[in-house]
Amino acid sequence: MKPLPHHNSGLSRRQVLTGGAALLGGAFAATSLAGCGGTAAGAETLRFWHLLSGGDGIKMQAMIDRVNQATPDVNVVPTVLAWGTPYYTKLAMASAGGRPPEIAIMHASRIPGYAPGGLLDAWDMAEMEARGITEDSFAAPIWASGQLDGGVFSLALDSHPFIAMYNTDVAEQAGLLDGSGQMTEISDPDTFLEALREMQAVTGVHGLSYGFINDGAQMWRLFYTLYRQHNAEMVLEPGQSAQVDRDTAIDCLEFITTLLDDNIAAKSGDYGTAVAEFAGGGSGMFFTGVWELPTMQDAGIPFDAMTIPTLFGTPAAYADSHAFVLPHQNDLDEIRRSQAYDFVADILKGSISWAEAGHIPAYQPVVNSPEYSELQPQTNYADAAEIINYDPRAWFTGSGSDFQTFFAEHVQNVFLGREAPDTGWDAFVDRLDTLLAKPNPV
Amino acid sequence: MSSAVIERRKAKTNKNDLHGWAFSAPFIIFFLLFLVWPILYGIYMSFTGQTLTGANNGLVGFANYAEAFGDPDMWRSLGNTVYFTVISTIPLVLIALGLAALVNMGLPAQWLWRFSFFAPFLLASTVVSLFFTWMYNPQLGIINEMLGNVGIAPVPWLNDPAVAMWSIVIATVWWTVGFNFLLYLAAMQNIPQQHYEAASIDGAGGWRQFFSITLPQLGPTTVLIVILQILASLKVFDQIYQITAGGPGGATRSIVQYVFETGFTGYRLGYSAAISFIFFALIMIVSVGQIFLNRKRSA
Repeated sequence: MKPLPHHNSGLSRRQVLTGGAALLGGAFAATSLAGCGGTAAGAETLRFWHLLSGGDGIKMQAMIDRVNQATPDVNVVPTVLAWGTPYYTKLAMASAGGRPPEIAIMHASRIPGYAPGGLLDAWDMAEMEARGITEDSFAAPIWASGQLDGGVFSLALDSHPFIAMYNTDVAEQAGLLDGSGQMTEISDPDTFLEALREMQAVTGVHGLSYGFINDGAQMWRLFYTLYRQHNAEMVLEPGQSAQVDRDTAIDCLEFITTLLDDNIAAKSGDYGTAVAEFAGGGSGMFFTGVWELPTMQDAGIPFDAMTIPTLFGTPAAYADSHAFVLPHQNDLDEIRRSQAYDFVADILKGSISWAEAGHIPAYQPVVNSPEYSELQPQTNYADAAEIINYDPRAWFTGSGSDFQTFFAEHVQNVFLGREAPDTGWDAFVDRLDTLLAKPNPV
Repeated sequence: MSSAVIERRKAKTNKNDLHGWAFSAPFIIFFLLFLVWPILYGIYMSFTGQTLTGANNGLVGFANYAEAFGDPDMWRSLGNTVYFTVISTIPLVLIALGLAALVNMGLPAQWLWRFSFFAPFLLASTVVSLFFTWMYNPQLGIINEMLGNVGIAPVPWLNDPAVAMWSIVIATVWWTVGFNFLLYLAAMQNIPQQHYEAASIDGAGGWRQFFSITLPQLGPTTVLIVILQILASLKVFDQIYQITAGGPGGATRSIVQYVFETGFTGYRLGYSAAISFIFFALIMIVSVGQIFLNRKRSA
């Protein structure tokens, strides 16, 4: 019988443990070295956070790639986070912790919730002017959206209003197209309802696609468009009760419930269903944001787009802007800050490709360019940039904010016809008053 | 015993102690850093007006607690959480028991049943939420489609405040019942076979055996499952946040979500800490109740 192998020929437990520890240590060292890899290659890494996914995300990535290729000394590395709360909580935490990305995109409507608390640094317009971007580069309402307490806190990439798309085949059969193939002008609610009913008769399903279930943003977009078409104001001052036009608000809610009668539009449609319905030819008109343009182009339906008809006297459209901000840095690196300026200037000047995604570029030279005038149907709603309305300003309002959640909470039952408009509206205003009475945390 | 021996023993115990501490150090460090310290800091924060942006950092005494007790949204979300706990715990215990009893009866292909009942538990909450969001969809969802096929009117699963919480419960039961099922099955398989043999000889039938042997023998397991389930249900957040985000109209907002919203989207960290300690007090009451119950049982 062969002797058993000598005890010491294998690894002892101690050796294994020591070796394992060494390996672990090595792994840590390796990952921390890899972390510096970006700078080792010679190019400065610029961290850029945004919340654009889907088609928008692909367009944005292409724009970043183009800038990266043109400027070899800077490497912009984007981080995409989910739209709404997930993005804004993380951006706020990173800024509060003092180590945020060098550059980020926010909705312009969210600036009042970030800038006063010192989470954002103001843009130095002298620096921007040196790169060819001035106040005149932006339409007036868009420029105003980035202003706060005398500082410029955001530079808009676009405005993305809430608009109406319409199926040209359906509209034609319903006799709603004029000689140029565009929808005839409608300027009062009754004609509008009649037009939608005629389109319903053509599709046999619905006249209008509009999804809102559990989607405060969608409910707010339509409501605020109509509310502002009445030229009604909403002012939210901390320490005071909300200043609103109650009668107009109730009228708007009543008008919306007229639309949601399961004939003109589905009584309880959600966002995805509305997109699918219009894309499948199940309706003649679609209330949505400009960002759904590529979806409809891919769907291959014959359609055009316009601002939502002015039914109550004043042209108005709800909108927001994707806007560049400088999150506050505890240790400001001047070189990177300057590269952030370069990057934003380059992206703004190249924003014609952003227009392909449906958005209206904020940078006027692009909007006035011949390339833009060839974009159809973008040019048919480009005038929206002059009539856009951002959320009423307060620290808690804006896209994807609690404000829109509260709106949904109190008004969804009104939309669904389960509650009277005044009950839902009063509950919403109560909620606003409670928020306004609390100490402003920003 | 000579003093030298005592000294040596003492030295040995000290050395053992040292080894003990060294081995538990990794845990203790994490425990202190990521549990004890945050709790203490959280208690401190709940007495301040601290916000995410660093404004109003000062101490405010009991103002946050006073505000919370008068905050209808806090009470509502606390009520929602308790409601969810009650209507989810009961089916999660009873259905688990039923499934375990069925599998334990000696069905063919036992592994397949065991696997099928437990598999959903392995899914991420996001996956489960997506499944159910689509199935509950009012226009395209399979559930309403199937109901329609047998002539039942469509149910507004996620849109009706009176129904939405039940929809969340259905999703939760499907997702997590496997864990309780596994605990019950293990306990059933540990019941000595002689009990059943003796009972059969005495002429007891299947139901009699179930109620007189199986159920009493499962007593301690049931207490364990109920307590674990209550604690798990009280902490509900993921699936609600992903399926309804607290809607419609706040009808499914849980207290954990309210803490999250107050602190991270409303920026009021101090206030949100106060709410979370009120919730913590509720959990403490349940836990103390459990200890009390257990004592009574073993006494």
